Amino acid sequence: MSTETAHPAVGAASGHEHLALEDRIWLLRAMLLMRGIEERAMSLYRQGKVPGSFYDGFGQEAVSAGAAFAMAPEDRLCILHRDLAAHLIRGVTPPRILAQYMGRAAGITRGRDGNVHFGDRQLGCVGMVSMLPDMMLVATGMAMAFKLRGERRCALTWFGDGSTSRGDFHEAMNWAGVQRLPVVFVLENNQYAYSTPLDKQFAVDPVERAAAYGFAGVTVDGNDVEVMFEATREARERAIEGGGPTLIEAVTMRMHGHAAHDDMKYVPKEQVEEWRRRDPVDRQERRLRELDVDVDAIRAAVAAEIDAAATEALAGPMPTGDDVLSGVFCEGDAEPLGDGHAPWSGFADGRPADGGAA
Amino acid sequence: MAVMTYLQAISSALRDELRADERVLLMGEDIGVFGGAFKVTDGFAAEFGTDRVMDTPLAESAIIGCAVGAAVVGMRPVCEMQFSDFISCGFDQLVNVAGKMHYRQDLAVPLVVRLPSGGGFSGGPFHSQNPEALFMHSPGIKVVAPSTAADAKGLLHAAIHDPNPVCFMEHKHLYRRVKGEVADGIYETPFTARVARAGSDMVVIAYGAMVDVALKATEDLEGASVEVLDLRSLVPLDEDAILDSVARCSKVVIVDEANMTCAAGAQVAALIAEHGFEDLDGPVVRVATPDVPIPFSPPLEQAVLPGIDRVREACRELLAY
Amino acid sequence: MSSSPTETTGLVDVTMPQMGVSVAEGTLVAWRVGVGDPIGAEQTICEISTDKIDTEVPAPVSGVVAEILVEVDETVEVGVVMARIAVEGGNGAAAEVSAQSGAAPAVPAPAAPADPSAVAESGAVAEPADGPARMHPPGRRYSPVVSRIAAEHGIDLSAVAGTGRGGRVRKQDVLALVNADGGGNGASTVEDPPMHIESPYRPDPVPATPVAAATAAAAADGEGLSRMRRQIGAHMKRSLDTAATCTTWIEADMSRVEAARAKLRVTALAFVARATIDALREHPALNAWLDGDAYTQVPDVNLGIAVSLGDDGLIVPVIHRAHELSVEGLAARIREIAKRARARQLTADDVQGGTFTITNPGQYGSIMATPIINLPQVGILDLEAVVKRPVVVTDGDGNDSIAIRPMTILGLSWDHRALDGALSAQFLATVKRRLEGLAG
Repeated sequence: MSTETAHPAVGAASGHEHLALEDRIWLLRAMLLMRGIEERAMSLYRQGKVPGSFYDGFGQEAVSAGAAFAMAPEDRLCILHRDLAAHLIRGVTPPRILAQYMGRAAGITRGRDGNVHFGDRQLGCVGMVSMLPDMMLVATGMAMAFKLRGERRCALTWFGDGSTSRGDFHEAMNWAGVQRLPVVFVLENNQYAYSTPLDKQFAVDPVERAAAYGFAGVTVDGNDVEVMFEATREARERAIEGGGPTLIEAVTMRMHGHAAHDDMKYVPKEQVEEWRRRDPVDRQERRLRELDVDVDAIRAAVAAEIDAAATEALAGPMPTGDDVLSGVFCEGDAEPLGDGHAPWSGFADGRPADGGAA
Repeated sequence: MAVMTYLQAISSALRDELRADERVLLMGEDIGVFGGAFKVTDGFAAEFGTDRVMDTPLAESAIIGCAVGAAVVGMRPVCEMQFSDFISCGFDQLVNVAGKMHYRQDLAVPLVVRLPSGGGFSGGPFHSQNPEALFMHSPGIKVVAPSTAADAKGLLHAAIHDPNPVCFMEHKHLYRRVKGEVADGIYETPFTARVARAGSDMVVIAYGAMVDVALKATEDLEGASVEVLDLRSLVPLDEDAILDSVARCSKVVIVDEANMTCAAGAQVAALIAEHGFEDLDGPVVRVATPDVPIPFSPPLEQAVLPGIDRVREACRELLAY
Repeated sequence: MSSSPTETTGLVDVTMPQMGVSVAEGTLVAWRVGVGDPIGAEQTICEISTDKIDTEVPAPVSGVVAEILVEVDETVEVGVVMARIAVEGGNGAAAEVSAQSGAAPAVPAPAAPADPSAVAESGAVAEPADGPARMHPPGRRYSPVVSRIAAEHGIDLSAVAGTGRGGRVRKQDVLALVNADGGGNGASTVEDPPMHIESPYRPDPVPATPVAAATAAAAADGEGLSRMRRQIGAHMKRSLDTAATCTTWIEADMSRVEAARAKLRVTALAFVARATIDALREHPALNAWLDGDAYTQVPDVNLGIAVSLGDDGLIVPVIHRAHELSVEGLAARIREIAKRARARQLTADDVQGGTFTITNPGQYGSIMATPIINLPQVGILDLEAVVKRPVVVTDGDGNDSIAIRPMTILGLSWDHRALDGALSAQFLATVKRRLEGLAG
């Protein structure tokens, strides 16, 4: 199995007709924020301020930014460790994210889980577990509930190429196909699962598995944020119209190691160079410059925002341990997930508002 | 009030919940059209539809995982593992996704997993297990195990109303062999222990199918007054009731149908050794299935499961100690 | 397998099968054959219906239907023999055949797999050992609870005879010593005066402290009643002014109590207390509070035991949730609260919440009294002396004779505002029945 994508990007309409200028700026901003936060966090990690390990999605920011941007407030997301932009789009603020990486009390999980293992339940996000792709089943279950209740909403989850080898991938794909559920599965094919290349992971191109489970599969250029957006928007429409699931194979490249402790020596230098030329942030910046947008101003604003976020996060206390035993069980009422932010202009007035409350 | 079997009590609870709460959803293999491997949901599909009494694919991990998803968007799923043994296929979703979600993310997962457990009828190693200890050991999961029809209904209602993941250990041997008076309508049995018989010379601590074994084994022990404590709830464990019985009786026999090592009874024994030491007049004795897979052929199975005679002998010895 | 061999040579059983692990019974729907009909192995012999499934039952062997034991529409448990098939030829015939033609193979006897239950009973499979059998036989060691009780009561354990395994001292052994006359054999323990006198014919040890002697109300120098005495007086007067106090008595034969006392080394009061608790469970109207018009039956039995404090009068500490205690437990608690009462160590909780009171004042041989109700309770039971009397006993054939029995008169003062004489009498009858019906 070659590490190049076997198919050209199919269904690769860039979605200009659905994206206003402000949306396209938003997409760049989200990617810049993600990249900037992760760079700062990596620096803090090297300063010993981020405990445990550190994972980032450098070079694949478009996969989460583009897909999350197509999600409505009432949709629900299971976000993975290289999808930080999705959290930002849903409304999680940078200081909270940096506090979370540093294990501070102000982090989204208050120190109970680390790095990108978080999900702000009030913004409709479910925090991931390490066993992958367990979250595919959770997303499938959420979609199942939406369909049972007749709601026009969908669930979306990301997962990596390696995780498709586990049973939960197949159980989720099968269940979603059998019940024809409104779920969007985004397969981030970033060429490597830790050090394991694709030819040790699949015997077929994974997008073909969608047909095997009875639904649509599409391969797209994961480094084009507007293509990602359009593919997800289409998949969402299919889902809420009762057309069932979609598997979107987003082809991209993991430009850093598996985690901060991995120097990725196993990746050929030429491959890295080739993908650097296809950097998603660079590509979106070029687009916006062609439209006379002041990209440098955006960069500067993002940098300032991250500086402020880091200052705020560093000033926050570590958790004290006084309540480390509390919260194992819910003692009150079970509150379902809440709605998240949805900055896409396509969700403004005129859009049907019959999403559910959970 | 009506007299019904343990199985009918479970059906009654499910039926009442489906009628009362539109969020309740049953998920399991063969539970809809077929009415369930044990007929617990016989007739349900006709009344509630196959959407709410869902025939799932053969995929335990997916049953639990999808239930988690449904639960966090406002449903109240009640999953069934066709046999408790098969929970091993869904272990990851239950332990790592459902169990840890609230602690990490402050997100409640109100789901119930019904687990038809236990042996005694040549089910063999994969249809006879009592896996509750695995989930007692896993933070974030509650575990209950009724021994009477009334408790089966009450605990199941309480489990469905609970905002946390709850494992409901329903013992297959009790399905049609235990009958009792069960109140009408929806009621909750608290997650506490119950004194099945009060006594003063010794207490036998048990749960599930072993409660009846304990009662029968100690009915007529040369006039000794033997208390039987039905734990009913394993997580949370009713430590006060256990220590109270020990304080009054001073001699303890703990019966586990599950394999001895690290069974629920081991935790009870540790609790007593540490917090009931001053009240003990003898060693804390355990009667449990030894650490073997449950064998298939009747003489082998009877040799390993704790039967009335074995429990009685252990009690007699301890009384004389 | 739906059949097993019987003892009878040549007959094979057809039993009700178990169609599923939780199925316990089945119903016979139809017989396909009758007695005397031939049947082949695997051929359907009958149809059954169970909770899980309706099915046909195949015959396990070829032969002739010898017996049909279950009727159509009859429901029987799994494993019950429904029919028997006589195997063609049988053993006798087989032997005859083989004797007649040596070359012909003998008809094999019905296959006889070992009966599983027989194997289990004979213990062919080793059973794991449980219980203290694996413990080393104990030396002179004392369990935590034994040590604790001994320490609390100043008992020298080396002098205690043990009735446990290998002569081990058990909790019952040390409790018995605690409750027996002269229970504290450490020199430091003050001899507690007994609260109860069994009968005039058995002398009790002379009390070390003259507790009951000075019940004279006046203080030595004539200063009037003590404060506590006055408070008690006010309480008593208020009770008589408020409650419609009646007293009912019943005689009870205490022979069984005396026998059990000797065995357990426990006072009769403890037995009466337990019998009272049982009677209160049967007649909950007496386990109640009446305050003005507010009448509340209380689910717990919180039993007050009147304790004499000499000059200072009387106090009634309460055993909360007394219904949970056995006779020995009650004896231990009575002894403990009496001790604390005399040492003036009772707390406010100790004297609150009582639902019923027992008074046992006598060590002088008085036989009846009219106790005053301890408001807001509605009943109080008085236990006086146990006295040997001649009584009429009737044997099984209705013949009367005179026997000598230890008798006592139990008095119940009760509040006519809350209940009436019939219930009081029933209550006393229940207490009497419990005392007289004690297992030997």
